[in-house]
Amino acid sequence: MWHITKREIYDNLNSLRFALTTILLLALMVTNAVKHLREQPKRVQTYRDAVTESSDRLTAHADGSLFKLSQYGPGNFYKKPSPLHFCANGGELILPDTIEVDEPPVFATDGEGNVTLQGVWSLSYPDANLQNKSVGPSVSQVDWAFIIGYILSLIALWFTFDAFSGEREHGTLRLMLANSIPRHTVLIGKFLGALLSISIPFALAVLVNLLLISTASTVHLTTDAWGRLGIIFALALLYTSLFVALGLLVSARVQQSAVSLMILLLTWVTLVVFMPSTLASIASSFSPATSFDEVWQQQNPSREDLWDKYDEWLWSGALDDKTLRGKSAFFTENAERWERKHEERLKYRSSQVDRARAITSISPATLLQHLIEGFAGTGFERHLQFVENTQRYARQLREFVADTDRADPESLHILGVREGISKKPISPESVPKFEDTFDLSRDFNTAAMELLLLTLFVLVLLSGAYLAFVRVEV
Amino acid sequence: MLMTLIRRELLDNLMTFRFAAAVFITLLLVVANTIVLLKDYEQRLTAYNTATQESHEKIRAEKIYSDYLGKLVVHRPPNPLSIFNLGLDKQVGNKIEVYHAFVPTIWDAEKHGADNPFLNLFTSIDIVLVFQGVLSLLALIFAYDALAGERERGTLRLVLTHPIQRGYILFAKYISAMLCLLVPLSISLLLSIILLTTATTVALDTDDFLRIGGIVLTSLLYVSLFYLIGMCISAMTRRTSTALMLCMFVWGVLVLVYPNLILTAVDIVPQPNTQISAYNQIKQMWEEWDRKNKRLLRNDAVLGPLSQNGEGWGFRLKGGEYSFLRDEDKPSILLYFHQTGFYAGKIKAESEPHVPRVQDYYRFYNRETVNTVERAWLVRKPALEAIYVQPANLGQMLLKFSPTGLYDAATEAWAGTDLEGIQDFFGTVQRYRRAVVDYFYDKKIFESRQWFAADEGTADWEALPQFAFHRSDTSINAKRALPDMLLLLIMNVILFIVIMLIFIKSEV
Repeated sequence: MWHITKREIYDNLNSLRFALTTILLLALMVTNAVKHLREQPKRVQTYRDAVTESSDRLTAHADGSLFKLSQYGPGNFYKKPSPLHFCANGGELILPDTIEVDEPPVFATDGEGNVTLQGVWSLSYPDANLQNKSVGPSVSQVDWAFIIGYILSLIALWFTFDAFSGEREHGTLRLMLANSIPRHTVLIGKFLGALLSISIPFALAVLVNLLLISTASTVHLTTDAWGRLGIIFALALLYTSLFVALGLLVSARVQQSAVSLMILLLTWVTLVVFMPSTLASIASSFSPATSFDEVWQQQNPSREDLWDKYDEWLWSGALDDKTLRGKSAFFTENAERWERKHEERLKYRSSQVDRARAITSISPATLLQHLIEGFAGTGFERHLQFVENTQRYARQLREFVADTDRADPESLHILGVREGISKKPISPESVPKFEDTFDLSRDFNTAAMELLLLTLFVLVLLSGAYLAFVRVEV
Repeated sequence: MLMTLIRRELLDNLMTFRFAAAVFITLLLVVANTIVLLKDYEQRLTAYNTATQESHEKIRAEKIYSDYLGKLVVHRPPNPLSIFNLGLDKQVGNKIEVYHAFVPTIWDAEKHGADNPFLNLFTSIDIVLVFQGVLSLLALIFAYDALAGERERGTLRLVLTHPIQRGYILFAKYISAMLCLLVPLSISLLLSIILLTTATTVALDTDDFLRIGGIVLTSLLYVSLFYLIGMCISAMTRRTSTALMLCMFVWGVLVLVYPNLILTAVDIVPQPNTQISAYNQIKQMWEEWDRKNKRLLRNDAVLGPLSQNGEGWGFRLKGGEYSFLRDEDKPSILLYFHQTGFYAGKIKAESEPHVPRVQDYYRFYNRETVNTVERAWLVRKPALEAIYVQPANLGQMLLKFSPTGLYDAATEAWAGTDLEGIQDFFGTVQRYRRAVVDYFYDKKIFESRQWFAADEGTADWEALPQFAFHRSDTSINAKRALPDMLLLLIMNVILFIVIMLIFIKSEV
């Protein structure tokens, strides 16, 4: 078997296609690295500036008083840019990278313009990026997901289309099978040979890419990132073997290598280029043409008006317990409703996206795209994780305010109104800080299903190739 | 003789597996995608109709004139030819407000509420994209062995023993292959047009069929170019396997790698100063406008107290119900303005003497606003061009170094989904805003009582000029598409001459 593999590799190393492949992959990977080096420092800087500003605001609020903190809340939240952005762009232009903290709404002012009734902060989730006003041509970014998903799969077909049909044309297949080698050994030999010959230029290109990226002092890769890169590399090999198996399957069945290449290319175009878009279009046409606001109204038809419910306390300036509690309940409920509506809208929209993602997963190219996005920490899943992190932190901060207030015996323990909350100064250091995290194990769990599916594809195609080759007449 | 050659080539090509496969796969992809795209178009049309209806009702619910921002909204109908080339049709906003305090542009447009912007995460598809990928591939597959194959089999030598000019052989091959490629192209297009015409929601007129004709013509030029590229490779190589491999490499580079690589590699960033300086200029104009207004109010013995010396919103007349502030500050699209006003259901008798003064003031205020908008537009328009349009054009130009870029641009122009086609709509909206402002001037609405009060007659929205948009003429589409088509044609001719030279000089 090793003989066959070795022979295949030698054969390939001297061929024109090997040289062209190496040049192509190197060009793509170098472009990718250069682009990353150009943009990543800017991205990190923007994030740092934004986070500093946000934490300054939190400190300023905490410095004021516990009331100010409970009323104005933290500063905006920012999504931490992934160090592996070059692996998968993950719809960076579309997904928003902030979650805004809404200023407390002003409900009423007196004659001189002084605020008399003001609520508390709430989270609002911005829609998909509306800042992007570009009207230029939209193309996919050259990231690893593109290079692996499109180019590497094409190369895999390019290396295997004549694996059997070419040998049959030359008559060497007959010669080889005349030896006492079992056919499956020949198949596996061919498979490994092709896979290794593709891996060599790919590994080379990846090495150059990573060398460029890791030597630049502005961009830093952690151990965790290197682990993820290893996984992505393994994914690339798995994905490539899928197309190698496909190439072997068709090549074994078809007599002429030209016909074999044509079939393979048309299959590739369908699987990789058209299926994701067509399926996504189908999936999105399933979604109803009603806007979320209509759905929301249908779901909450008899929503009791908060103004009516709390009317008797809102307008009185009295400082008794009941009035304060009434106001507090109004503010809290108002913020909760507002937040829930935003959350539901995000859920409504992301459920549509999830459905489209599930349907497009039939295409291996999309599977790979999702997997790489998952491990690179970009894309839609990552966005949802960011949203979840923010929500967790918001709960944490609210609990912190409640706990601090509870620790003060002089306080009335009515949150949201100045008179009802603890007046003791708080130290800004004790306020919990937001940190956007993403951990490998969680990503691995979400990716498991897709990984399994991809492996299944490979196994099915490999066994198909085996069956085809065993039964073929030379 | 030429006919004999063509017939031979035609038979050779038609009877092959690759021809059957080509027809089958093109048909399958085009028909499947047409169905999906048609559904998508119908959905967008429904959303458009609902939104138009809603806006129609919303503006009529408004009793006074001044508070019409966000209520006088026009919608961009989806383009039926976006099925062929989607272009910017889905990406750009389809809902735009008409208001006297800003000039509406493509960047001010928003999306209908029913749209889920997150779905833009997925790539979209159109029929031109299918042709772009599949037809070019087929053309190369038909071409790679045109000369190398005959040379390998020795039949080329045989043919050349006859007294035929070599140019004739090339020409015969070209004609017959193009005829073969025309079959999948025309059948699939025919089927998709049948699907389109049977759908009741899509109304195609004569102009649209002319436009589709333009798209077909461009497709032919594109396919022919790829066939000639394949033939060129075939003429240069000795062996078919090498030719095939090179063809695939060239295809991958031209269709897949180049467009994505070039836009990633070339960093198209507009000068950041343009935006900041233009924004500051516009802001200054509005601040000057604000100062002027406040100065007037402060120095006025009657209006001053009524408006808290210009600090409050609107005027505190007895019977006033609410006051409002319309405030926009979007530095990225250079949009900056603010407008204040108030609504009075029934003005009480004690405030009645102030009403003429207030009306007088609003005449000044609104005239100043419209003039400021005009001046700001002189700054905003070129700045927006520099920030958004120029990079977009540069990107488009870079893509045109590959035939796919030319093909895409030309078909977009035919379909009217290119930037200029979309700009046509926004040009119409700008003219509509002008018409509304002129109407407000003519009917003295800016200084009318209905501007802020609903007691003596309410706003009459029926008399307002109506918005109507028609897509540009076919001749304009043709004018936009022709340069790119001409480039494709020239490339075709050059390649044919090159092949001729190679083939004539080559030894058999």
